[in-house]
Amino acid sequence: MERGSRFRRLFRLERGAADVDHDIGAELDFHFAMAVDELTARGMTAAEARREAERRFGSVDRTREELVALDRARLGSERRARWGATVAQDLRYAARGLRRKPGFTVAVMLTLGLGIGANATMFGIVDRLLFRPPAYLPNPAEVNRVYFSRFLRGEERNISNTSYRRYQDIRAGATAFAEIAGYWRADLAIGVGEEARETSVATVSPEFWRIFDAPPARGRFFRPDEDRLPAAAPVTVLGYEYWQSALGGRDVIGSRLHIGRRDYTVIGIAPKGFHALWLTPSAAYIPLAAGGAEISDGGMDFATEYGNQWMEILVRRKPGVSAEAASAELTRLYRSSYAAQRLAQPQLESVEKVRAHALATPVQRERGPNQTTVAKVAVWLIGVSLIVLVIACANVGNLLLARALGRRREIAVRLALGVSRRRLLGQLFLESMLLAALGGVAGLVFAEWGGSLIRATLLPDAAWTDAVFDRRVLAFTALAALAAGLLAGIAPVLQARRADVAAALKAGAREGTYQRSRLRMGLLVIQCALSVVLLVGAALFVRSFRNVHQLRLGFDPDRLLYVATESRGEALTDEQMGLLKERLLDGARRLPGVEQASRGVTVPFQRSVDVSLYVPGIDSVDRLGIFTQQAVSPGYFETMGTRILRGRPIRATDRQGAPLVMVVSASMARTLWPGGEAIGQCVKVGSDTMPCAEVVGVAEDVKRESLTDDAGLLYYLSMAQYPPGVGGLFVRTRGLAAAQAESVRRGLQALMPGAAYVNVIPMDDIVGPNMRSWQLGATMFSAFGILALLVAAVGLYSVIAYNVSQRTHELGVRVALGARTHDILRLVLTDAMRLAVVAVVLGTAAVILAGRWVEPLLFGTSARDPLILAVIGVGLLAIAGIASFIPAIRASRVDPAVALTAD
Amino acid sequence: MARDDLELMQGTLDLMVLKALTWGPLHGYAVAGWVARATDADLQIEEGALYTALHRMEKRGWLESEWGLSENNRKAKYYQLTAVGRRQLRTQADRWTRYAKAVFRLLETPQGA
Repeated sequence: MERGSRFRRLFRLERGAADVDHDIGAELDFHFAMAVDELTARGMTAAEARREAERRFGSVDRTREELVALDRARLGSERRARWGATVAQDLRYAARGLRRKPGFTVAVMLTLGLGIGANATMFGIVDRLLFRPPAYLPNPAEVNRVYFSRFLRGEERNISNTSYRRYQDIRAGATAFAEIAGYWRADLAIGVGEEARETSVATVSPEFWRIFDAPPARGRFFRPDEDRLPAAAPVTVLGYEYWQSALGGRDVIGSRLHIGRRDYTVIGIAPKGFHALWLTPSAAYIPLAAGGAEISDGGMDFATEYGNQWMEILVRRKPGVSAEAASAELTRLYRSSYAAQRLAQPQLESVEKVRAHALATPVQRERGPNQTTVAKVAVWLIGVSLIVLVIACANVGNLLLARALGRRREIAVRLALGVSRRRLLGQLFLESMLLAALGGVAGLVFAEWGGSLIRATLLPDAAWTDAVFDRRVLAFTALAALAAGLLAGIAPVLQARRADVAAALKAGAREGTYQRSRLRMGLLVIQCALSVVLLVGAALFVRSFRNVHQLRLGFDPDRLLYVATESRGEALTDEQMGLLKERLLDGARRLPGVEQASRGVTVPFQRSVDVSLYVPGIDSVDRLGIFTQQAVSPGYFETMGTRILRGRPIRATDRQGAPLVMVVSASMARTLWPGGEAIGQCVKVGSDTMPCAEVVGVAEDVKRESLTDDAGLLYYLSMAQYPPGVGGLFVRTRGLAAAQAESVRRGLQALMPGAAYVNVIPMDDIVGPNMRSWQLGATMFSAFGILALLVAAVGLYSVIAYNVSQRTHELGVRVALGARTHDILRLVLTDAMRLAVVAVVLGTAAVILAGRWVEPLLFGTSARDPLILAVIGVGLLAIAGIASFIPAIRASRVDPAVALTAD
Repeated sequence: MARDDLELMQGTLDLMVLKALTWGPLHGYAVAGWVARATDADLQIEEGALYTALHRMEKRGWLESEWGLSENNRKAKYYQLTAVGRRQLRTQADRWTRYAKAVFRLLETPQGA
């Protein structure tokens, strides 16, 4: 209001900084004028009077400064108080407005709630996988996992597993680290006899505790002198959760507990919520050397062999040492250690050839070099949930806009009454913020539901013990709600800035001309286009998941159990062990519900063995790939459901002393003898001097390592011609394997001597996690896609309905002039369809552009699958048609008499 | 001036200014005149300090001010007690009375009692 500046003082009480100086000057001038008057009246000269007045006053300059400071402070606090009162008033006004329209308010709350909830859920998951450091870990940025990298068969491999020997080499030479710790975790049996259960037991060096800042809940952690070679002290620290659940939280310090092969004395309890580096709690922690002894059957090769890579390394860098510097030092130490290893194993390739180097990587495993597909998909889903939020915001923006347009007269009246435009915008904005806050609350409720669902079904590996609403998720939700409020609030504010007071006041409730709001149309197109993107994404993942499910693995996981035996200190020779396994095999075959059983040494997706092969006529077999070894007893192929393509399977006649035989996979046959016949060929296993094993059969390929890219190079030896006693049992059940697991376990446990026990795992549990990323993608994309479509459909409906109501007059005129029902229908529907077509085109373009990045996450599906694109495009058009049909019908029933005489 | 003296000083000034305003709105010069007369100039108070006290109490909400015309038609800033200011005057006056009584009792107590 420029024209009012001359009168401002008359109407406004608010005073600026310049006024403060002026007022104080005037006040002091008045004081001195009065003083001088009084003193001159008593007979002083003007100059004397002035001096006397100043003497009485004291320092004028200092006082003036003090007064200015005081007044400015007062002005500031008054302004703040006024602002607070305005906001409170506007807030009450907004709340009243929202209460008056509960339908609108609930719709907005739910829309924003879904968007915010989706984000809170995904944030919770991704935060856990990628960002949140382990509990009780101070300065997590200083802590690194160590990876060792080598170039093997043309590709770089980053492995965090290493040997105790290497660990000691690195400890001996390192200078960049405050602590270097070794750790490992495996399932070991805790308890004896029937009560023995395999549970996660962590094996950690004493330094491990020092990297964390986790005071024990009871007792103490183990000391360096308790983790020495040759034998570590049999002491253990229990996990808090295990202590509570299995031991009832009673005083167990000093008591003994059978873990793995021996008794341990409990010396401490880890603090509550301490999971160290793992997503799930460990039942117990034992010293590193004790854990090593567990795997090498009490022997020492865990500590002496470079090849025994059973553990991992965690370091804390010294302050000021960068991760790069740490990697450089680790690389130097790794290379010299590798060189030392090569002295003992001259067949190893040189340091230069394998480009050996080490990496200090973040403590969150998913941020290391081997990110799982689940984490990659989860990161994508963050993007997806953001899109859902954008759609929700666009929709709410649209609703707010419609509301603002409906209130045009009210707004115009208020502007005319002198409410400042800024205040008005502030009110509109506050309203959207209030809605966003409500949406945030709704979002938390949705996140609680959705979060627990996703956690339980899709990411069961992690222990989601702590509440869904932790501080980080709450902060994120607040941020998302704020962003949503801003985003949704922008549209009506933009519109209100353009509001033309005079025009709005002149036009009655009946708007003579109907205005298509470009902003609203734009928002709608964005929503629909993004819905197309999400739905295409959903279709791609659903298809990938189906493809993975239908994938021929080469065996039938749903009807297979794997049985592992654990001798647990029962002294059995290899021969006795072999006999025990034969007894178990017989026992298993006799169990009801078991169709077939067989022994096998290695397990798909779990355990593999590869040794060098030598084939006459082929230069270096190793160069052609990694050949996985399996040794099986007769009946193995029927048990697994693996087909023999040519030749014969392993038979009972392939016994010890008989000619060595081998069955190879189809891929292996193709790789070694391209174009030739595999059967009858000779392969020497392990060394050049071994006798020939004759290939007697070719089996179909089996997925062993990965569902997506598996070379399938696998060969089968006869168990009877293999070192005795090793391996486990595969059992084929009549029904679903998981249902039979317990009865099979009980049946076989009866055959085990002493403390030894069997562990029965459904094959589905071993294979399942490999499919989880597609399952996650399919589920979440579908949920979000349908959500987005729903929101977009409602948005479309509301915009078309609004337009129709705005056009009632115009449509009435048309009907009066003779337009028929289908003319009106076409008029309205064309509008909606034009919008939908633009959206489909934009969405499809976005999909085609983004496809390149999403393709690696899919399985057997092209990101630009024309069928999917076509189906989704047509589907969206159909939905748009349905959403606009109801208002169109309403438009066609406009009664010209009513429409023209209204208002 | 030590911090305690300063607080004592400020408290005294506040009390005098509040008391001066009991009878109605006054401008700063009138407050200074009233204080000088009431204390018979026994307390050597710089008038500048009175202004600081006025503005400080206005900031605290004990006083409010308004521009008006003085007796000889000059524009002057008039101060007036608010309800908070009145309450403040009462509590401070009470405290001073108690304090002064205690000090007097102390001075009148004969030695060795």
